[in-house]
Amino acid sequence: MNPCSIATQANDVDGDNRWLSIHKRFLSECLEKDPDVIFLGDCILENLQYTETWNQYFAPLHCLNFSIRNDRAENILWRVENGELDNVKPKIVVLHVGTNNVDNSPEEVSEGIFEIIKKIKEKLPDTYIVLPTILPRGQQVNKLREQNSRVNQLIKEKCVGMNRVQIVGIGKGLIQSDGTISHHDMFDYLHLTNTGSKKVFEPVFDLLTQILNENEPEKDLTPSE
Amino acid sequence: MKMVLSQRQREELNQAIADYLGTNGYSEAVEAFRKEADLNSETEKKYTGLLEKKWTSVIRLQKKVMELEAKLSEAEKEVLEGAPTKSKRSPGEWIPRPPEKFSLSGHRASITRVLFHPIFSLMVSSSEDATIKIWDFETGEYERSLKGHTDSVQDIAFDAQGKMLASCSADLSIKLWDFQQSYECIKTMHGHDHNVSSVAFVPAGDFVLSASRDKTIKMWEVATGYCVKTYIGHREWVRMVRVHNEGSIFASCSNDHSIRVWQTNSKDCKVELREHDHTVECIAWAPDTAAAAINEAAGADNKKGHHQGPFLASGSRDKTIRIWDVGVGLCLFTLSGHDNWIRGISFHPGGKFMVTASDDKTIRVWDLRNKRCTKTLYAHQHFCTSIDFHKTHPYVISGSVDQTVKVWECR
Repeated sequence: MNPCSIATQANDVDGDNRWLSIHKRFLSECLEKDPDVIFLGDCILENLQYTETWNQYFAPLHCLNFSIRNDRAENILWRVENGELDNVKPKIVVLHVGTNNVDNSPEEVSEGIFEIIKKIKEKLPDTYIVLPTILPRGQQVNKLREQNSRVNQLIKEKCVGMNRVQIVGIGKGLIQSDGTISHHDMFDYLHLTNTGSKKVFEPVFDLLTQILNENEPEKDLTPSE
Repeated sequence: MKMVLSQRQREELNQAIADYLGTNGYSEAVEAFRKEADLNSETEKKYTGLLEKKWTSVIRLQKKVMELEAKLSEAEKEVLEGAPTKSKRSPGEWIPRPPEKFSLSGHRASITRVLFHPIFSLMVSSSEDATIKIWDFETGEYERSLKGHTDSVQDIAFDAQGKMLASCSADLSIKLWDFQQSYECIKTMHGHDHNVSSVAFVPAGDFVLSASRDKTIKMWEVATGYCVKTYIGHREWVRMVRVHNEGSIFASCSNDHSIRVWQTNSKDCKVELREHDHTVECIAWAPDTAAAAINEAAGADNKKGHHQGPFLASGSRDKTIRIWDVGVGLCLFTLSGHDNWIRGISFHPGGKFMVTASDDKTIRVWDLRNKRCTKTLYAHQHFCTSIDFHKTHPYVISGSVDQTVKVWECR
């Protein structure tokens, strides 16, 4: 059985039970808030909420961010199955996961992610699912970069023709011409800096605003004389 | 208007279209297009993604232009008209003006509601940090905190004399606090099955109404703490409840896009007002002084008899404010201008103006008679969640997700 598609609680390595505490806090936020967008993911999205990009672009859209550091596909599946999308009706769920499944095969990871997508669809059939591609990692070319791009490829194939599921390529411009990733974009060659976030998440923001404004009357964009 | 492209622009556009067709896998179309448009088979790198880029950036730029134009016209108006001196302005005309008199920090999470004490120079703020704080709005001093709730405090209300404060919370409880001496919690009432979003006193002060995400509104007896009535009708989360100053009717608004007006003494819904296209976040009853301005704005002909009211204002996530004649159940007019959800409404005691707070981070002052926004205050760093206008003193207060409470002086 594929370990990525079996809902599992995160391993409490430190022994302080933080992961479950965070999960419980997310559940209580569901009862209290009425978000239009929910971010669901790992450290990449968790980190996003401390950037200027978040404050400037995403905060005004009425978002909640349910992301936990080091989460793997199977952990997020567990969180979705255990209430994190109950009591809310967001218009969009943004899902980024997979980069921490370092010891699984691309096939396993992509199946795990697809399992989460199916679970979200089951809970929120009218909600858009936006999938930013898994970001490359490591300063130099390495096998995890290949793994992530392979997972992206597989997910793309699995999601062909699915309604209200949209993949956004966000890795563009991170890898420099010599194949390295700059610490100006990713300070530890995995997590994004302010500059990196802006570069990477602007396409996601554009897509979100377009989906959120889809049903609004179109403004006349012709420049007036 | 007709737009003409230069030859160079036309070539660029063709290249961009070819790139779009190519990268999206329309291989037959791209081939046919290249042939007809006489393009060579290789697209240069600078054209990759160009069409998508232009498509999205136009919208973004347009939005930016509109924001800047609004700011410019505001700045021009300020320069041309200026603020009249304090002595020249009568209490009926004073409106809040920047900069703020005080920016008060102390709360550790978003502010959910701000409220003036009806008599003393005090105001209270409630927050998602589960506390209520009391401040002096004339000196900007922090007075004390009321602690007892275990989750976000959602709304607060004073009785007519300000002797008692009611609060409600996501911890499912409603609390009554003594505001004369002890500042202690004197009663805690349970009964709602979900987050309690709003509270209000009836004018006599003997009952409290509460609205909840459990779709109901409940009435509680202050003396005993018992729930004496449950009003059922809303199909979704009830956001706010506000009692008319005569006390015989009250209004509520909900995620079901509607506003309902209820008879306090029976459990009957008197009228349902449906015209908003999204969750109705906030409501406010117009004071009697506003009747003339509202009638004029509604274009009522005095000979034919005018609208009698009572009048209610509502603010919604559809970014509009509506003014209703509750007596006949009609929407008289709509005000638009805010660029995000509207979260708070308060009438000017003189009846000519109304102030609103929005998630677009601004406070706006509306001239009711002319149905237009006369002033925009870029008030907070994050969503403005609540606003209150003092009934007798020249002050407005606002609260925000940026965790500050601001005091604005009127001139």
